[in-house]
Amino acid sequence: MSLCLVASPATRAASPSRLVAAVPPPPPWRSRGELHFSVVWGKMRGGASVSAGQRQVVRRCSSAGEPRPAGDGGLSSFCIIEGPETIQDFVQMQSQEIQDNIKSRRNKIFLLMEEVRRLRVQQRIRTSESRGASIEESEMPEIPSSIPFLPNTSPKTMKQLYLTSFSFITGIIFFGGLIAPVLELKLGLGGTSYEDFIRTMHMPFQLSQVDPIVASFSGGAVGVISALMLVEIRNVRQQEKKRCTYCHGTGYLPCARCSASGMLLNTKSFSLSCDKGHNMWSTTERCTNCSGAGKVMCPTCLCTGVAMASEHDPRIDPFD
Amino acid sequence: MAASSSSALWTAHHHLFLRPSNTTHRRRPVPPSAAVRPLAASLVATAPVAAATRRTAAEEAVYEVVMRQAALVEEAAAPTRRRWAEDAVAGWGLLADAYDRCGEVCAEYAKTFYLGTQLMTAERRKAVWAIYVWCRRTDELVDGPNSSYITPKALDRWEKRLEDLFEGRPYDMYDAALSDTVSKFPVDIQPFKDMIEGMRLDLWKSRYRSFDELYLYCYYVAGTVGLMTVPVMGIAPDSKASTESVYNAALALGIANQLTNILRDVGEDSRRGRIYLPLDELAEAGLTEDDIFRGKVTDKWRKFMKGQIHRARLFFDEAEKGVVHLDSASRWPVLASLWLYRQILDAIEANDYDNFTKRAYVNKAKKLLSLPVAYARAAVAS
Repeated sequence: MSLCLVASPATRAASPSRLVAAVPPPPPWRSRGELHFSVVWGKMRGGASVSAGQRQVVRRCSSAGEPRPAGDGGLSSFCIIEGPETIQDFVQMQSQEIQDNIKSRRNKIFLLMEEVRRLRVQQRIRTSESRGASIEESEMPEIPSSIPFLPNTSPKTMKQLYLTSFSFITGIIFFGGLIAPVLELKLGLGGTSYEDFIRTMHMPFQLSQVDPIVASFSGGAVGVISALMLVEIRNVRQQEKKRCTYCHGTGYLPCARCSASGMLLNTKSFSLSCDKGHNMWSTTERCTNCSGAGKVMCPTCLCTGVAMASEHDPRIDPFD
Repeated sequence: MAASSSSALWTAHHHLFLRPSNTTHRRRPVPPSAAVRPLAASLVATAPVAAATRRTAAEEAVYEVVMRQAALVEEAAAPTRRRWAEDAVAGWGLLADAYDRCGEVCAEYAKTFYLGTQLMTAERRKAVWAIYVWCRRTDELVDGPNSSYITPKALDRWEKRLEDLFEGRPYDMYDAALSDTVSKFPVDIQPFKDMIEGMRLDLWKSRYRSFDELYLYCYYVAGTVGLMTVPVMGIAPDSKASTESVYNAALALGIANQLTNILRDVGEDSRRGRIYLPLDELAEAGLTEDDIFRGKVTDKWRKFMKGQIHRARLFFDEAEKGVVHLDSASRWPVLASLWLYRQILDAIEANDYDNFTKRAYVNKAKKLLSLPVAYARAAVAS
């Protein structure tokens, strides 16, 4: 049923070459045998009318199996790095055309992702077959632990964590509530108690009359707050590692031409014979560099904001 | 014959950087004996084939760039390049932010280098950060996580952006920082273009047949950095060395650094299917590409590596001679970084030349120890 999803009929594009150009060329190293794209695409096309653009796309995809040097100028003039002239791309299209093109491309992305998912399933099956018994460990996902200094954790280690935590808590409660008072444990420096400590420091003796409930509350609160802080710091550091350093995860950099304002100040001077005083005429117009957005593509993460521009989609890794 | 042609190429530069020079160059033919021999020529003598004064095509090309940069420095009494004047008032805040971000990127990716920049003056620090970020961004285009999307056309566009920023029309924030830097310091555009050329090489070239080819590649990706930063570091006004010799030394430092990288990362590169060692020298040592891919350390390998390390050390020695002619404030950081990087070669030797599986690195203690010694050496040199 899933493959009955039919790409919405693509409008006859005014510039089919441009449409085709927008599909990035496959990386040269990826050539795991002949991929039967043409067959799959055939099923998906179904009864939809096929424009010249789509057919060209199919032709390209069916040759995806052959290793081809990146940047094959014959089929595409597409360049992934943005430049001041990229706002001219697709400039001739009408608004309805643009909408339809967007819809058809989103459909194609959806279908391609599904294909990737199935291919990854097959790939996983093949590699696990060759590796044999090591399937066990690879199926357990490795979750980085949020407790500082602890290595990776997993649902198995959670049991250990529960056990250790509970025993610690019970132990401390027993110790603090029962054992220490019974033994009259004095944990100050040199075996002094809190009272002795206050007396030696020559501080007012009321301080030594601290209420035990208040004391335990304060101690507990300090412990909890510092623990939460450590966990948060570690979390932020991990997220930062995944983030693109150049754009801080936003995917964009401030446009230098308009200093991130989006507007350019154009001053034209002219002189009128009668009016000598005012001969400067300034107009604000949209910045040509960023077309008014105030920001431009970050070329390192290609607008994804993450250090690795892969699709973060569960369909990429169906076994995780 | 080569010597006379080289003297014809020479323009006698005895005006030094920062001195108000006469506006016309005085072209005086320099007798060949006084000419500073290009670095590689002296090293070519160690290679079995070439004569001592023969210069290869690669060295010629590189040499011409050095000359042009030196000439640019000479005529830059006042920077004629247009400053980034558009929206000058609005741009101020953005520029300070841009430089700060450059510093952040530098601190993130090159911690030792970042510490080194702390030893420089504030203006130089910012300039070096801006240059570092541009070089790193360029390198990440072909070596980073998204390199599979990069085509030669993408590099062409990157080059167009470079030309725009040199003319005062930067595209984004980091370009703006570099644009400001090149308007303050007399940096030539050619080393930057050459670095992009080096990236183009990396897109398709994975084998180097001779040291000449490798030298050109090392120039493209590392020698250019030396040429970019010398105008920023500045040459000492009272130095008696010619501008070209300082540039040659900077070039040598870049080449030495790159050779060290190559020798350290043999295993890593081979796993990506790349060999950055000259194939003819490998064959001479009786080694094949398979030996490298297999990654076993044999006596043949040790002998081969000894020769390569020796050559890298020669480049370091040439570079060190030029450091003393830099501006006094810049000597310490450059010398320190030179020593630190040279210690990586020692680490490779200590690993018994196993650069397939072991990563040669210099531990923190050694790094810290080099600093005061480098300081003393830099202060003494005059």
